[in-house]
Amino acid sequence: MDDGFAEYVAQRQSRLCRMAYLLTRDWGTAEDLVQTALARAWLAWRRIEGNPDPYVYRIIVNTHTSWWRRRWRGEVPAETLPETADPRDAPAELDDQAALWNAIGALSPRQRAVIVLHYYEGRTLTQVADIVGSSLGAVKSQLNRALTRLRVDPDVRTMSLERGRR
Amino acid sequence: MRHEESDLRELLTVRAEAGQPSVSLDAIVRRGRRIRRKRRALASGVAAAVAAVVLVNGLPRTEGPPVAAEPPDSAVVDQGPELPATFPVRLGGTRVDLTLAHPFRFDTVGATWTVIFEPTSHWTSYRVVCDDPRAWVVTSQRLKGGETGGTAARCDGLLGGHHDKLSTPSDWLRRPQSIRVWVFPADAPVREVAQEVTGCPSPAGECDESAQEQALMNADVRERLLARVGERPGNWAIGIYDRPAAQN
Repeated sequence: MDDGFAEYVAQRQSRLCRMAYLLTRDWGTAEDLVQTALARAWLAWRRIEGNPDPYVYRIIVNTHTSWWRRRWRGEVPAETLPETADPRDAPAELDDQAALWNAIGALSPRQRAVIVLHYYEGRTLTQVADIVGSSLGAVKSQLNRALTRLRVDPDVRTMSLERGRR
Repeated sequence: MRHEESDLRELLTVRAEAGQPSVSLDAIVRRGRRIRRKRRALASGVAAAVAAVVLVNGLPRTEGPPVAAEPPDSAVVDQGPELPATFPVRLGGTRVDLTLAHPFRFDTVGATWTVIFEPTSHWTSYRVVCDDPRAWVVTSQRLKGGETGGTAARCDGLLGGHHDKLSTPSDWLRRPQSIRVWVFPADAPVREVAQEVTGCPSPAGECDESAQEQALMNADVRERLLARVGERPGNWAIGIYDRPAAQN
C-alpha cells in the first residue's frame, strides 16, 4: 500500500467504525459500512487532495442513507442490539440514556448523521454541511428538527416526567 | 427535565466507545479491487451481452437467453428446483404480476456467481429457489446512488426482492445490470465463521439464525465460508422477473 492509505486506515479505522456504529447501531454493519467506504476511498486515493476525512465521511453517510432507504423486500435489517450496562450508572440514569438512545434511533438517517457528526465528531455545522452535501441552512434545519424530536419523543417525555417527580 | 447537549455528547461517546471494532486493510483492498473489476467489466463489453452469467467459482448448467427472445414457458426446468412463472408485487393498492424473464440454473453450491441481465422496466425482481431449502443464499447488487445492498437467508422459496422507480439506479434501463449471488450448503459452518469474524452479536445473546443472516452480509464471513466449504453438487436457480417496457 502506498501514498499513506495504510497509515490512514490504521489511524482512523477505529474512529470511523465508532462513528458508523452510531449511524447503524450494529457493529457488524458498521464495519461493513466502513470497509465499503474505505474500499471506495482506496480506488480514488490518488485523486483525493488534502485531508481524506470529509471524502470518507461523505461516503459513509451516503452509503448508510442508501442502505437504510433500500427497498428490496426480504433483506436483513440491522438489528438494534442490547448493550452492556455501565455499572457506574444508577438504574434511573440507564433508563434515561436508553430512552434517549432509542429516540436517536428513531431519527431519519440524515438527521442522525447530522447529530453524530456534530455532537460525536465535533464537526462544525459548516463541515457537516460539506460532508452530507447540503447547504448550511438545510443542516441547521435538520439539526433543529432532530433536537426537537429528541426532546418530544414519548419515551424521553415520560422519562423526564418521572424523573421530575423524584 | 430536558436533556442538555452535553448529555447527548456523553451518550454518543459512551455508546461508541463500548465496542472494539476493526476492519482489515487486506479486506478493504480486496473489496476495492472487486469494485474496480466490476466497474471495468460493466464499462467494457458487457453491453454486448444482454443476459449472461459471469463465472466466479461455480459452473452454470445453462445460461439465460436474451430476455427479448425468452418465451415465458422456457422457465420450466427439467430437473432441480422450479422457478415460479410470476412474481406478484403489491405496493399499497398497486398490484403488479411480473413474469419470469431470465432463468439461470446451477448445479453446484459453495461458490459465488454474478448474474447479468438487461432490465426492461423499473419493476425488475428476482427470486432464488434451491433443491435444499436449508441452503444459505446471499445476494448483492448495486442500488440507487451506486451503493451495494442485498439479502441473506435460507433458501426457503421466499428469498427474493423487487425494485420500483424509487430504488433503481439512474442507469437501470440504459445498461445491463447484475446481481451477485453466493450459495452455501445447509451444513456450511456459518455460525462458527460468524463468531470468528464478527462475534455474531444477537439480542438473544447467542448466534441464532437471524444473527447468522446478519453476519452473512459481511464480506469477510462469506470469503472465509467459501474457503472452508468448497464447491460441491447442489441444484439451485435464480429467476429475474420483469415486465415489458411498454408497461414501464
